[in-house]
Amino acid sequence: TSSRQNINLMQLVYGKPASKTSNEMKESSDEESEDDEFFKPKGEGSKKSKEGVNDNDVDLDDCSKFLKKSHKDWRNEDLIASIRDRFVTGDWSKASLRNQLSEGT
Amino acid sequence: MGKFSYMRLKGSQNLRLRLLLSTLSSTPILIEDIRADATWPGLRPYEVSFLRLLEKVSDDCVVEINETGTKLKYKPGIVMSGRHLVHDCGTSRSIGYFLEPLVVLGLFGKKPLSIRLKGITNDSKDPSVDTFRSATIPMLKQFGVPSEGLDLKIESRGVPPHGGGEVILSVPIVDSLKAITWIDEGMVKRIRGFTFSTRVSSQFENTMIHAARGIFNRLLPDVHIFTDHKAGEQAGKSPGYGISLYAETTSGCVISVDTAVSYARGEDEGELEDEKELSPPGDVGEEIASALLGEIEQGGVVDSTHQGLLFLLCALCPQDVSKVRVGKLAPYAIEVLRHIRDFLGVKFVIKPDPSTETVILKCVGCGLKNLSRKYN
Repeated sequence: TSSRQNINLMQLVYGKPASKTSNEMKESSDEESEDDEFFKPKGEGSKKSKEGVNDNDVDLDDCSKFLKKSHKDWRNEDLIASIRDRFVTGDWSKASLRNQLSEGT
Repeated sequence: MGKFSYMRLKGSQNLRLRLLLSTLSSTPILIEDIRADATWPGLRPYEVSFLRLLEKVSDDCVVEINETGTKLKYKPGIVMSGRHLVHDCGTSRSIGYFLEPLVVLGLFGKKPLSIRLKGITNDSKDPSVDTFRSATIPMLKQFGVPSEGLDLKIESRGVPPHGGGEVILSVPIVDSLKAITWIDEGMVKRIRGFTFSTRVSSQFENTMIHAARGIFNRLLPDVHIFTDHKAGEQAGKSPGYGISLYAETTSGCVISVDTAVSYARGEDEGELEDEKELSPPGDVGEEIASALLGEIEQGGVVDSTHQGLLFLLCALCPQDVSKVRVGKLAPYAIEVLRHIRDFLGVKFVIKPDPSTETVILKCVGCGLKNLSRKYN
């Protein structure tokens, strides 16, 4: 299964050219009646782009900062335990194992 | 102009990345349909400002924009850099937006770069100047960039909507970068950070620090968060506060997060939303501390924000293999990977590492040399 996963990640990134499909989408929307297009309520554009936050949005916002709102409660003991070995206060042998295991890849 | 063959692109997406890669690879580009269907079509003020900045640091570059700003022709020139440059970044995006591409360009300039950038130093959208100092600069050093001459000095701070911050960026030049194998995340040995406040009580900072420390308490004793209360001229033109935190690991990785709180920008005023209350400093501190733990949890040698720059630097290396480990691929990083392929012809081998739930990326650099050598 790991080989299949490889392909998926590669496909996720390089699979399809980014900007082609959105043009097709635009053309199809042109076929709608002219009036609808003309009287477009303000803010429609932004609404559209919010829905389409995906690979095909040609006007995607240019932002490198990626700040996930963490919905986890980091006061939770189990959660703390899950990352304890990533700190020097945790188990060093387990941490080095983490790096060893992956040397092969 | 007709004799060049332009790479044709569409839309406003990743404009700064496209311009950067266009310059580095000396590929003229033609971009059409820039927000053609938007209520306000065409280039945004910050994009125009970035184009002006490119003109400022390079010789012979040609920028042509049509009347509506929906079409852009860009023919890159030679990056000259130089000292004592000044650029006003405006207030529609923060200085962080400009720093990321500028530092890479500076490395491949003809002369070392030293430039004063004016505008917004901290906001919630772009990496802050503190993050640049604590995480971005150490990352550059991993690729063999000399630490001498690589610096960001914060002269004054400014938050949205009116900015008023000033920083001085210095970037040395390199012949080429150094390919790296960087997969050891190490263990977090200490957490550091900065808070700042401008035109509000410095007490806001203590509240943020207290809240953040509360989250780290049971994991690590070595936590120091420094305050930076600005007053008078150095506080810029708008009230605000914020925090940036970073975790240093035993293998020299830096994982960072930051945010800032201030009133909305002018362009948002047209919206129906009333002036929102600023989120309380206690919540901000707790949120950002949690976000840092989230980044540590997902693994990788850099945080999500720095993935894109990491891949770009790998791709710009000499023709050796670079190998890096990151956590979950961030959407922006994926865009960077695609553009690297289009402009530099470098394709990464991307493999998940199931045992740690991280991703290993490998590539052979495009062998970019500092172009100025040709002209010496």
